[in-house]
Amino acid sequence: MSIEQQYRTRAKELLSSGEVKMVIGYSKGSTPDRRRPAFISTPEDVETLVLDGACIANLSGYLVTEGLLSDEKRVAVFLRPEGIRAINILAAEFQLNAAQVEILGFNTEGNEPTALSGSKVDDFAELIGTLKGIIPDTAGEELYKKLEAMSPQERFDFWQSEFSKCIKCYACRQACPMCYCRRCIVDNNQPQWVNTSSHTLGNFEWNIVRAFHLSGRCVECGNCDRACPVNIPLRLINRKMAGEVLEAFDHFAGSSQTQEPVMASFKKDDTETFIL
Amino acid sequence: MTKILYTDKLDNCVERWRSAGLSVIGPVRNANITAYRPVGSAADLELSQILPDRSIKELFFPQTEPMMRYSIKKDAINTEECLPPVGPRIIFGARPCDASGLAIDDPLFGWDYKDEYWFNRRNETVIVSIACTKSDEFCMCTSLKLSPDSTKGSDVLLRPLESGKGWQVEELTDRGREAFKAIAELLTEGAEAAAPTAVVAEKFDADACSEWLRNPENFESRFWKEISVRCIGCGSCTYLCPTCHCFDIQDEGDTFTGIRRKNWDSCSFALFTMHTSGHNPRSTQSARWRQRIMHKFNYFPGKFSANSCSGCGRCTRQCPVDMGITETLQEISKLSQ
Repeated sequence: MSIEQQYRTRAKELLSSGEVKMVIGYSKGSTPDRRRPAFISTPEDVETLVLDGACIANLSGYLVTEGLLSDEKRVAVFLRPEGIRAINILAAEFQLNAAQVEILGFNTEGNEPTALSGSKVDDFAELIGTLKGIIPDTAGEELYKKLEAMSPQERFDFWQSEFSKCIKCYACRQACPMCYCRRCIVDNNQPQWVNTSSHTLGNFEWNIVRAFHLSGRCVECGNCDRACPVNIPLRLINRKMAGEVLEAFDHFAGSSQTQEPVMASFKKDDTETFIL
Repeated sequence: MTKILYTDKLDNCVERWRSAGLSVIGPVRNANITAYRPVGSAADLELSQILPDRSIKELFFPQTEPMMRYSIKKDAINTEECLPPVGPRIIFGARPCDASGLAIDDPLFGWDYKDEYWFNRRNETVIVSIACTKSDEFCMCTSLKLSPDSTKGSDVLLRPLESGKGWQVEELTDRGREAFKAIAELLTEGAEAAAPTAVVAEKFDADACSEWLRNPENFESRFWKEISVRCIGCGSCTYLCPTCHCFDIQDEGDTFTGIRRKNWDSCSFALFTMHTSGHNPRSTQSARWRQRIMHKFNYFPGKFSANSCSGCGRCTRQCPVDMGITETLQEISKLSQ
């Protein structure tokens, strides 16, 4: 039986037994190479689920849709390792109760999906341990190295040129499972903390605010990068920040659901006086 | 016999137009994206892409532009109106869907108030479109009563020659004829055949959709929730759209000096309709998607007799979750049968 069929069968069992109220997975898209998020609530519909090498979007963000988990019922979701790490972060930041999430874990090596065993987020702890420090998707690595070799001024010029393309559509934010704020700082208009204008300064403000907010939280799933309609290589900013956080704090985002947020936690006995 | 512009003369054309005082603009590939940008020579033009990634509207309705500067002193408030920098321009290599999009928005910007920001630019711009010989699965102009060689909104339409070495020239407006006078001697009279235009299959029946949308019973249809369940609420579709025209006015600055700006806004955003009280009449993403479709295919045609869509397909092409107008209207077409 193909892995796709196995997962359909499992999804069907979960829905038929009432263990979950919904399965969030992938179905065919508008072109042969596209997959789209699918929300399945009846056992008959599991046949529309697709699982193949084109299933790359991180679907974990849908779990924090307002009201979805508020009835205490469970939801199953197809997740790659980065998505599973995202569940850990969402649980650590009290955005969801991980017990309500049934994980249909898979990985995509090359073009073929492989099954990951486990169904609760903690089942994948060992796997996540082995991934520590490994860049999940090395797309853009050549450019990354080039950027690292640049002088600060050259690097600034590169990002200025990239950010000048930004249209502030916020697709990066909306596609990001970590951008769950009900009201983003840039949408706060009483007062308007951050200008809405999409000029050079405004675009820098937006992209830098986001990069900092994601430091130590980004799981590098690439959703933002793929969502960007003007092709800004957003993943490279986050890759840089993830590397810095790993080096400075030995923090690999999403390692467990009890992991303390690196930028939002402190200890009373911290030797550094500026903390408190 | 028709007028023909050969590709090898294009560089001279750009030069002539520039020395005649026109800024020359066209599709330019830069930093991994193609957009309409100023060009220095024909070599800067990227004319092989099906259509530029970004629409033409930003040349007439930029994503952000100043409207007024203000300064407040002890005994005086000074305001200074900012009007767009003008000067004659020629856009070479627009796609017919982009040019049509501008014509679709003209009545909107000139309806109760004539928007200077839009019309000052419109009146100074010559649009030279190139008929499409290539299309992709997202193109849908033919479903909107347009076509790969629509003349709507264009001052000149060029039809690529079969040989690939130039274009047949069809001058459509006085403004177009005037601009082509400057390059008259670079044109050749010839009988070379034009390449066939792209075949774009009709994907939905826009009239039937509009009728379904006009039926008040369908406003609360379950369909809206089903079709938009995966929408993540970004503004990619609206900002890439050549006809979406909503904007917000913001003051930037401090208490004493600042600038008033006109910025793009999107009906996809929750904040778009948020009231000061905190109440939001479009509190769900499905209500926001319904608004976008209703606006384009019901309210807009009701007022201006044309759909607010030229079928470029950018909404679907770039949607992070594979949504878009095509599928929604295909489903509505089915429902309306």
